[in-house]
Order: sequence, then C-alpha cells, then structure tokens
Amino acid sequence: MDGLKEIESYESIQYIVVKFGDEQFGIDIKYIDNIVRMQRITRVPNVPAYIKGVINLRGEVVPVVSLRLKMGLEEDEITKLTRIIIIKLENGEVIGVLVDSVKEVVTLDTREIEKVSYDSAEEKTNFISGIGKDKGELISLFDLNLVFAEKEKSN
Amino acid sequence: MDVSQYLEIFLDETKEHLQNLSDQLMNLEQDPENMDTINEIFRAAHTLKGMAGTMGYKRMQNLTHDMENVFSEVRNGTIKADGSMIDILFQCLDALEEYTENIQNTSDEGTNDNEHLIKALNDILAGKGSAPAVSEPVAAPAESAKSVQSTPSAATQNDEAKEKWKAISFSDTDKKVLGEAIKQGKNVFGLSVFVQETCILKAARAFLVYKALEELGEIMISVPSAQDIEDEKFDFDFSVIIISEVDMDKVKAAVMNVSEIENCYIAPIELEVEKHDVVPSAEEKSAEVSVSQHAAGQTPAKAEKKSAAKPIVNRTVRVDIEKLDVLMNLVSELIIAKNSLVSAAQTEGITSNSSVNEPIEYLESVTTNLHESVMKVRMVPIESVVQKFPKMIRDLSKKLDKKMQLFMSGEETELDRTVVDEIGDPLMHLLRNSADHGLESAEIRKKRGKPEVGSIFLDAYQDGNNVVIEVRDDGNGIDVEAVKAKAVEKGKITQEQADAMTDKDAIDLLFQPSFSTAKQVTDVSGRGVGLDVVKSKIESLSGDVEVKTKLGEGSTFIIRLPLTLAIIQALMVEVGGEKYAISLGSIQTIEDIAPNEIKFVQNEEVINLRGDVIPLIRLNKVLDNESTKGPDDNLIVAIVKKGDKLAGLVVDELMGQQEIVIKSLGKYINKSKVISGATILGDGEIALIIDANALL
Repeated sequence: MDGLKEIESYESIQYIVVKFGDEQFGIDIKYIDNIVRMQRITRVPNVPAYIKGVINLRGEVVPVVSLRLKMGLEEDEITKLTRIIIIKLENGEVIGVLVDSVKEVVTLDTREIEKVSYDSAEEKTNFISGIGKDKGELISLFDLNLVFAEKEKSN
Repeated sequence: MDVSQYLEIFLDETKEHLQNLSDQLMNLEQDPENMDTINEIFRAAHTLKGMAGTMGYKRMQNLTHDMENVFSEVRNGTIKADGSMIDILFQCLDALEEYTENIQNTSDEGTNDNEHLIKALNDILAGKGSAPAVSEPVAAPAESAKSVQSTPSAATQNDEAKEKWKAISFSDTDKKVLGEAIKQGKNVFGLSVFVQETCILKAARAFLVYKALEELGEIMISVPSAQDIEDEKFDFDFSVIIISEVDMDKVKAAVMNVSEIENCYIAPIELEVEKHDVVPSAEEKSAEVSVSQHAAGQTPAKAEKKSAAKPIVNRTVRVDIEKLDVLMNLVSELIIAKNSLVSAAQTEGITSNSSVNEPIEYLESVTTNLHESVMKVRMVPIESVVQKFPKMIRDLSKKLDKKMQLFMSGEETELDRTVVDEIGDPLMHLLRNSADHGLESAEIRKKRGKPEVGSIFLDAYQDGNNVVIEVRDDGNGIDVEAVKAKAVEKGKITQEQADAMTDKDAIDLLFQPSFSTAKQVTDVSGRGVGLDVVKSKIESLSGDVEVKTKLGEGSTFIIRLPLTLAIIQALMVEVGGEKYAISLGSIQTIEDIAPNEIKFVQNEEVINLRGDVIPLIRLNKVLDNESTKGPDDNLIVAIVKKGDKLAGLVVDELMGQQEIVIKSLGKYINKSKVISGATILGDGEIALIIDANALL
C-alpha cells in the first residue's frame, strides 16, 4: 500500500483486483466489507443458479453469488485461491461474491478509466462501468449497482 | 403547575376515554334510550373536559364542555339522541382525536377551534326549545357527583365518619414525637382529604396536597402511605397527621387551594389519656434520649417527603422497542453460543460426563426461559389495533349506505409488538374489503333471505405457535367465475388458463397486484391496491393469508402469524444430505410409514393415518435434491398441520429437537417460498428453515 501512496492523486479510486480465469476485474474498495476464504456454502433450493447459497459470516447469514455464472462464464472451479468477497451495497444489503482469486489493490486515476459502451452483446459487459489501465494491464471495473440491481428487473 | 410530567398519563387516559366514548356512542346508536350508556358518555365527556382543563388545553375543554352539555340534556330527557346528533358527536370525537394527536406530537393541542362542531352542538341544545341549557353551570363537577348532592345537614352528620384520620393508630415512637412537638408549642393536626370522585389525576392532586402540607409543616403519618398514594392505590381520600407551626385554618386553606379537592376534614390532635400512660416514662428520660428518638421519628417522615417529590411512577416501565430488539438479539446470540457449546461437548464425547452435562442442561433451561421472558415482554394484545375498527365500520356503513355490524372476539390475543404495529393496515384493508365487496346491499340481502344488516366478524385466537386472525363476512362470497372473467379481460390470463383453473388458483388471482373485481371504483376500495398489499405485508411478517369462500354465503380471510419472529423450537431433519429445520409448532406427530402403505388419490401420494387421508409431500422433490433413501426403505413422515389441513412431509433422517434462532436470508435471495429463513447451528453450519405452512 505504501507504494501506492506515491501515485495518489485527488481524483483516484482504489480498486481490489480480482481474477476470473485470465481476465482481471476491479471492485471499488468502498463497497468491500471483507474478503474471506472459501467456506462451506449452504445451498438454497429453488433460486437462480448464480445464487450459490448462503454462508455464516460471523453469525449473520449472507447470500453468495457467482459472478461467473452471472456474467455467462463457466461454473466456478473451487481452488485454494478462491475467495468470497463480502460486499456491502448502498442499501445496506450484504452479499458475498465468489472470485477465482484476489490479486492486489490498485489506485486508479479517474483519467485512466475509459468508459465502455453498452452495445456489446456480451452479458458481462452489462456490469462493467469502465476499463482501467494499470502497469500496462487492463482491468474491467464492476458497477456493483448494475450487477445487483439488474435482478429486480428480471423479477 | 408544571404538567409536562403528567402528559404521558394524560395521553394514555385520554385515548382510553375517547375509545370508551366511541364504544358507548356505538351502543347509543343501537339503543338510544339506554340510560346507562347515556350516563357513561356523560361521564366520559365530563372526565375528558376535566383532564383537558387540568392540562390547560382550552380548545379541547371547550369542545368537551359543549358535548357534555348536550349529554346533560339527553340525560335529563329534554332531548333525545338521534342519528344526526350521534353523527355530530362522532365528528366531535374525530376532532378530539385530532387534538390528542397534536398534543402527542407537539404537546400543543393545535389551533383548530372546531367552531362548526361547537355550533352544531349548540344548535342541538337550542333545538330543544329551552335555551338556558348552555348557561347551566355544567362545569361544576360537583354536580355530577351524586354523593355531594346531599344536604348540608346530612354532610355534617357524615363529618364524623369522614374524619378518617381518627382511625390512625400511633406507635409508641409516634406518640413520643407528637408529645415532643406539642411540648415545643407546635400544632398537631389530623386531617382527611377527599379528592373529588371525578378527578382524573388523583395521584397528582394528592401530590399537590402533600406538597402544600410539607410547606407548612412535617407530615408524620400518612394513610395510605406516600408510595401507595403515588401509585394511585387509594380511593378518593387519604389521611395524614401533620406537625405544623401554623394554625388549623391555614392548613385547611392550603389543602382546599388545590383544585379538585372536595373537602378536607381537619382537627387538632390531643394526645389522649393513653398517651399519659406511655409518655411520662419517656418524658422522664434524659433529654438526649428523647432527642435521638425524635430524630428517629423524623426519619420515616423525611423518607416520605423524598418519595412524594418524585414524579408519579407506575408499576409498569415504558421501554423503547429498540432496546428490546437489542435484548432479543443478545438472547439469540446466547442461544447460538449455547448450541455451539452443546455441539462441542457432543463431538468431544463428554456429554456422558455428568459434571459437564448437568450444567449444560441447566444452561439450556435458563436460556429457554430467558427467551420466553423476553418474548413475553414484547407481546402486546392486538386490542390496541382492533379497537378502532367498530367506528371504522360504522363510518363505512354510512359512506357505503349499507347496513352492517362488526363482531369482534379475541382482542386480548397477544402478538409481538412489531407485528401488532404492522398488522393494522392489512386488517383494515380486509375489513373494508368485506364491507365494500363482500356484503350485499340491504335489498339484495332481503331477496336472498338474509338479515338486512350484514355481519362482519373479526376473530383472533392462538393456534399452537401461530396467532390466527380471521375476517369473516356473511356477504356474497367471492364469485370465482367473475374473478376469472376479470383476469381474462385484464389480460392476466388466457381463456384456456381460466377454464383449467381451480377455484383456489382463481382466488389467488385476487392477491395479484392491481386486481379488483369491484365494478365501480369507490373511495373505500376497488383501486386495485388492496389484497396484494395485504398479502405482501403479511408475508413480510412471516405469515400467510388464506381465503375460504362460498358464493352467496360469505368469505373468510384467514391470517396466520407466527407468535415470535426470532427464536423457535424446531425439529432438525436431513433431506438429501442437507440439514433443515421445521418449526415444531406445526408438527403434529412423526410417523414411520412402510412403502406399501402409500396409496394414490388423483395421482397424488397419500397415506391413511388413523382414518385421515393425508397427502404426502416428498421434501427432496420440493427442495430439489436426491433422497438418500432407497425406494424400499420405510419413510419417515412428519405430519404437519395448518388450520384443519394436514400433510405428511417425507424426510430422510431425524436429527432431534433444537431451539433455533431465525435469521433472514436477506432481500437478495428472492424469497424462495418454502424457505422461511435460516439458522446457524452449533457447529457454525447453516440450516435452512422449511415453512410448513407454505407447503400446505
């Protein structure tokens, strides 16, 4: 983190970089409550496949969502690197999301973020608010409100 | 006088009196000649006026004053209660409620003078022909108190009996203190104070009398005790013995200065002959001793003084519901911790060790009792919600021009406070629904050979771990075909779907958003926001709504609510290798069923259990997993009950009974119908809770 401070600018946002396969995604750190290791997930019957179930997070029952399935990628493969990122949305709702692995924290200057257009047919881009560039690599930035708000529409 | 500390009491009592007034007005409407009712209304109006006056709410006082005037005439038989008058009185009631509301919110009654109501009331009075009614000094509360109407001579005769202080017996210490006081040239008086029987805040009045007396001297003895007086544990009189330096008239004047004091009987106390039997020995003692005795005698008086100065406290405590929520959460945590302890002990294999086992069992019983106590604290009768309904039905009756009557039972049934707070609107919707859609007009009812006056029933009762509230009417019932036709017309379903639909499914359509079969939209109901709101509200409280209806005979809406929202006793079961909890409250029995006992009715599996044909529900199918049992294995069936319906839930294994804490699955998981929540087991694992009611 210390190294990051040097490039801090007044318009910077911190993202946690997570990986799905080889692709890198960023989650705005202000939504992140916690990152926990993979643990036993209790299946909930009769819910969409992307809801993997619920976990016990310090005595609270928290639903866990597969972003892979949500984005139309293949099913998660649980490895030692799999993590559950606990997200706290603006409405107070707490949701866990499965990721293949957590890479690092980056600070992106808003000028380094490119907006994406929505015309892509690919499902996953529906949840992306922009593409950030860091050390020559591309990071797709999640718009969590899109990820979890979309659900109400399908209801 | 600073009245703010009495505001709460005032509000509580005002609401009570308004409710009483409303109930009595309803009675009066039924039976306009009933003298008891008229008297009761008069008293309630009078009381309200007195209270409003005491608290300085002038507008409220004026309005109740005029209401009282009208009733005074009704009572005297000079005017008769009729429909239009009762209407006006109901409007007055609404106005009074508005004042009360304002006072509650801002501790000010507001600025609405309600002149039109006052005028209407005066018109009623004027209408009877003899004008002087208004000038009649109804304000004098003494008038209404029968006992005071006795002649002065009779009063004097009664004085002896009223000097109740004479009945006070003195202990030796008291006598010494009194003797000492007299020796010092002080006056000792006994006095009995009578508070007017119409006085509302009598404890407050008594408190003021106390305060006045304490300024003049020292209260030695008080009967009943100062504490009891504070708690309003006295009728209308109390007696004190006071040591004072001022003379009798001054003391009496001070007492009479407090308003709503009916009378004060006072006389100096002469320590009688018996005193001389005891006191001389005391007097002979050294001065030191008597001083210390004097001091000892004073202590109780001082203590009384202190407690008298405290604001009136009831035996009840008002607690913010949030604090109770916190308490409930802590109890939940405790139970989870206890469960982990139990499961840890089991895995360690030390449960056979009685030095571990016994404390754990004790802990279990304590946590169970603790939970029950906290739950009970949170329970309130639904009365506070339903008591406004009779008036609502009356108003609806006028508005819809239908004759109807509401019958209620089980108002004392208790529910969790948070549920009670939420249940009012859904019930109101259902009642309006019954009044508007359910009941037919008087002509149609006549034609159908029903009594002209429609009946609506609201019955509440406890059924196991549930509370059931039924709203029933003897109206037209739900016309299933009309519902289907409407749904087709609205494009909700196709004609084919409609034809294939069972009656039950058709009735369920009513609970869909923006569905109303009312041919005309009235401002009572029929705006399409109603039953769906009722359903979602009840479901948010973990309850459910069921409808029974018979065309031409009426319908019943049955609301079923869990007694507690937080902690239940559950049966833990295994289905397809997963753990689930089923509320023990809904389970009747557990049966072991051989596969050959399963019969088929309309292609559905049923069993015949002691004469009852019970449908089987294979939980592994509902829960979408694979049963661990083979087809030839015996079935473990939990027989569950909802109302008069039974069903058998087939599970793989029974794991035993456990107290579980219900946790919500969160908004994000689209409430899967069969799963009502989740719970955390002792080992930290999550088990889902099956809502048996949703399966039936």
